[in-house]
Amino acid sequence: MSLLRSVGRSVKEDTKEALMVPVDLVRGVGYTVDEVRNGRMSPVEPVKTLAITLGALAIVLTLLFPLYWILMSALSGSGGSIYSSGGLRLLPTDVSLQPFVWVVGDLIIPAYAISLNIPLTDLAVVFNTPQVTFLDASAHGVESPSGFKQFFVNSMTVAIPTVLIAMSLIVPGAYALSRREFIGREKILFGYVLLTQVGGGLGIAMLIGLYTVFVQLGFNDSKLALSVYYAATAVPFNTWLLKTYMDGIPVSYEEAAIVDGAPPWRVVTEVILPLSKAGLATVFIFTFLTGWTEFVVAQTLLGTENYTLPVGLYSLISEYSIPWARFSAFALTFAAPLGLVYLFAQRYIEGGLSFGGVEG
Amino acid sequence: MSTVSRVAQRVDEVPFLERGDASLLLVLPGLFMFSTFMLFPILYLVGVSFTNAKPSNLFAGDGIASILTFGEATFVGLENYVTILTDPAFWNSFGITWLFVATSVALKIALSLGIALVVTGERVRGKRFMRSIIIVPMGLPAIFTITVWRGIFSSAEFGLANQVLAEFGFSSIAWMSQRWMAFLAYNVTEAWLAYPFMVIITVSALQNVSDELHEAAMVDGAGYVARFLHVTLPSIKRPVLFASILTAAASFQQFLIPFVFNEGGPARANELLILYAYREAFSFSQYGQGAAISLVAVVIIGAFMWLNVKRGRLADGVNEA
Repeated sequence: MSLLRSVGRSVKEDTKEALMVPVDLVRGVGYTVDEVRNGRMSPVEPVKTLAITLGALAIVLTLLFPLYWILMSALSGSGGSIYSSGGLRLLPTDVSLQPFVWVVGDLIIPAYAISLNIPLTDLAVVFNTPQVTFLDASAHGVESPSGFKQFFVNSMTVAIPTVLIAMSLIVPGAYALSRREFIGREKILFGYVLLTQVGGGLGIAMLIGLYTVFVQLGFNDSKLALSVYYAATAVPFNTWLLKTYMDGIPVSYEEAAIVDGAPPWRVVTEVILPLSKAGLATVFIFTFLTGWTEFVVAQTLLGTENYTLPVGLYSLISEYSIPWARFSAFALTFAAPLGLVYLFAQRYIEGGLSFGGVEG
Repeated sequence: MSTVSRVAQRVDEVPFLERGDASLLLVLPGLFMFSTFMLFPILYLVGVSFTNAKPSNLFAGDGIASILTFGEATFVGLENYVTILTDPAFWNSFGITWLFVATSVALKIALSLGIALVVTGERVRGKRFMRSIIIVPMGLPAIFTITVWRGIFSSAEFGLANQVLAEFGFSSIAWMSQRWMAFLAYNVTEAWLAYPFMVIITVSALQNVSDELHEAAMVDGAGYVARFLHVTLPSIKRPVLFASILTAAASFQQFLIPFVFNEGGPARANELLILYAYREAFSFSQYGQGAAISLVAVVIIGAFMWLNVKRGRLADGVNEA
């Protein structure tokens, strides 16, 4: 996997660079001190730079403070109160992971008895598999854990079909739009871009129509119907994204393959698809996230036992008996992996998460 | 002869298509699926808006045929439109939606321009690092961000906003039960949700401002403010305007923030247009009127699209490659 290898290489370079930061910093400071001592630089300059940098850092940290606060709320027993008689309190007091235990609940593989009958005899061999306990919630003082696992399974059964259906619609379309000339091509592209950039709320605006049709067809509360819907809504943006990515692959590669006598389908499977791996990975992530994070339609169509994670999260805030620490832990367990995947993909999937035609 | 070329030959026989147009078949499945789930509900919405649909009659009939007859709902002509256009509640929602668009877009532009200037500032060290962590909120699901901000504006003990107010010696505020306080909370949350997108576009615009112009202005004795007003602003005007149109459309379509915060309350005062349509249908069972309101929203979203085509450079990329 060349994609994985290139990601690995950039991770290595980044780590090396990150480790060098303190060394560079010390060197830079030493250099500046020398300059000032020798009178080649006014002492005001470094002080100014330092002050402005600290100001910028303060602004950045203030902006991201809500995220820090939610982490602190999840970790501290006091439930996210930064206010105390002694002034602001920015570190969690009495740190406890119990809210996270409440979110995850029991992680126990129950014991099974497997019996094998030995042919031609009356004998049977019985294996008793041991009970494997990764996490026993009640041992940590959690009586009724959250429905996180159920929501997680529901979300998976929505998101995986979404990805499969969406990819099978998007990849051929993106290829055709990038490499072939046909009637109505520009009109279709234009429509896709338009709907992508502006029409985010159209889905909610026509929710009444969608809901009515789904109820009349008996599709409401069906996770599969929901994933088909998600796949359909993911088509314009992701087709556009993959098309822009494929546009960057030089045509000469394909020409070389054709000269070597490759039929059209082999040009696609052996030149285009391998070269657009990063684009495909991005589209994979985006379509998965469509199914994983969508809230409004899922909330309207699904019944309680089919709630996906976002709907489950929302259902927690109307339960006033849920302590804030537990809510925070639930929200973080849901969102933190996505934030990390986003940061990682943003940095390491080359040209992947850029905004199609929007930039500039 | 392979299937592919046989298909191509068939396509050739259709009068207005050419052989090469067979590739259209690769695009059609996606286009068809999208239209099924996008265009059909909109057409259906148009139909419902002309009937007196309520759950009792809309879902009454059975079988596929009842979809086309809208259950047992009856045709009432333009009655729904007359009702909503003479309803003060509709105009309240319409007004608060446009006010929200105006205030939140102003706030978003000011905030993101400020941040973009900070993270491209000449004297700021560690700019690349700051830029990469500042856009983290973009990777978080909207429902997460909005529920967290609901917690921030909560009147309960843990509510961060009230804790900060208390720190500065103010008394605490019941954010969600006062109309304008709730509106302020919507604006702050919307700004926080949307700033990464605006910052990305503004930063890339700022990096394209030519150094020569700045140097020429400095030689002429222009200070920081003068250079910002006469060099930076004119050069970044277009991309920022473009981003503003997009983000204005997003503000107009905001649904989740009022829905999660207090369902457009207090007393339906802050229901943004799409939420108003949603509640009219799903909370008050007026499907016909809900559909009519939704269509008004769809028309305005269409106007945003038109504006984008006219003013933005949205479609430029289409003709490349």
